[in-house]
Amino acid sequence: MTRDQVRTTLHWLLGIWLLAVIAAAFFYAPTARSFKGESARIVFFHVPQAWVAVLAFCVNLIASLRFLRRRELLDDARAAAAARLGLAFSVLATVTGSIFANVMWNSFWNWDPREVSIVILLVIYAAYFALRQAVADDERRAALSAAYAVLAFVTMPFLVFVVPRIYWSLHPDTIISSSGAIKSQMDPRMLKVLIASLVGFTGLFVWLYTLEVRVARVLSARRAQEV
Amino acid sequence: MRASSLLSECLAVLSKDLTAELRSRVALNAVGLFGLTTLIAVAYQIGPYRIQEQDRPFLLAALLWIILFFAATSGLSRTFVKEEDAHTAKTLRLAARPLAVFGGKLLFNLILLAALFVFIVPLYCALMGYAVAGVPGLVAVLAAGVCGLAGTSTLVAAIIARASGSNTLFAILSVPLVLPLLVMLIQGTRAAAGAPDFAVVLPALRGIVSLTGVTVVTSIFLFPVVWHD
Repeated sequence: MTRDQVRTTLHWLLGIWLLAVIAAAFFYAPTARSFKGESARIVFFHVPQAWVAVLAFCVNLIASLRFLRRRELLDDARAAAAARLGLAFSVLATVTGSIFANVMWNSFWNWDPREVSIVILLVIYAAYFALRQAVADDERRAALSAAYAVLAFVTMPFLVFVVPRIYWSLHPDTIISSSGAIKSQMDPRMLKVLIASLVGFTGLFVWLYTLEVRVARVLSARRAQEV
Repeated sequence: MRASSLLSECLAVLSKDLTAELRSRVALNAVGLFGLTTLIAVAYQIGPYRIQEQDRPFLLAALLWIILFFAATSGLSRTFVKEEDAHTAKTLRLAARPLAVFGGKLLFNLILLAALFVFIVPLYCALMGYAVAGVPGLVAVLAAGVCGLAGTSTLVAAIIARASGSNTLFAILSVPLVLPLLVMLIQGTRAAAGAPDFAVVLPALRGIVSLTGVTVVTSIFLFPVVWHD
């Protein structure tokens, strides 16, 4: 099997997996108690979107650190690709979260610490691109944006883990609660769909990310030929 | 690298910046006047009586930090931008090690912010009728806030000086980084204003000090990349 064939097969598998997740979210997972109507089904898409936004942030950090060590512009392209996808997924997570909040609490926005943390992630991504657009030189842009990405990353744990513990949150505790205990109140079928969706969205991110990096590689090769 | 020579380089950078600032007073005027104007606008429109009693602890703490933060953003970036504008950055690169430059600029920003806080906070308490029960707690939160804001903003100032030097870009880049710090500072100020016991500010202080430590250490590692890109 050639590399292209493997890639095509994986893309088909990912497509089928995501279709199965969508079907399972509506027909296999039971209706959640203590939620209004069928509103809880959005969780199967909202949580993986937020997860991918954070995953993209981590990939952006790794690529930025690699750039700072090796000074190769392809690593900068990798960091930018991860940030672009992170921005898109944080917008999706914010929108789906707002729709859910409106159904549950009759307000699109409640200033919940976790709502704020995903918006700050979105603003960090936007600031990262504002910085990139302000610098014309490729090398300098890569170095400055890598430095900013690393600095932004170290402040995120405070926003994600410390601030939600200072303020009361509408969101449920995570599976690992603030006291450190591992617990889940989710129906096992719902949990299965959620995990399947997390896997599917991670696969989607990997596919889109590799696509972006391949495009950056082609553009860089073309630029080198022109020079 | 001897620690004493690094410290003396650091102090030399600070002394150069202080001398230049005392001659021109650009950053001092910018932060002081911005803070004063905002404070007058807030005090004139809201004053001590327009906030309901139950909302006072949180709203007054939040307003104080909004005034302090936005006044600070008008001057914190200047420490590096002026080196690029005056074309003295190259000389500074030759004259001092990156760590000494970062240390000197960080100390300058600390002094600038401390001056702003000493000027604005008593005025704010007087004009807004802000009665603080735990003064030692508030002083500790304010001191931690000075260190936190300077620690987070100094590297961002270096980044924007190398990017475009725009103050707008400084605000865009620093606001998302400073937000967790501001949340904890508001929480700490509210706690200090409400109770005389110093222990009530400790949870917020722990968060502020750890965030400041993490950002300063990260900035020290990243600064040479930004300074010599």
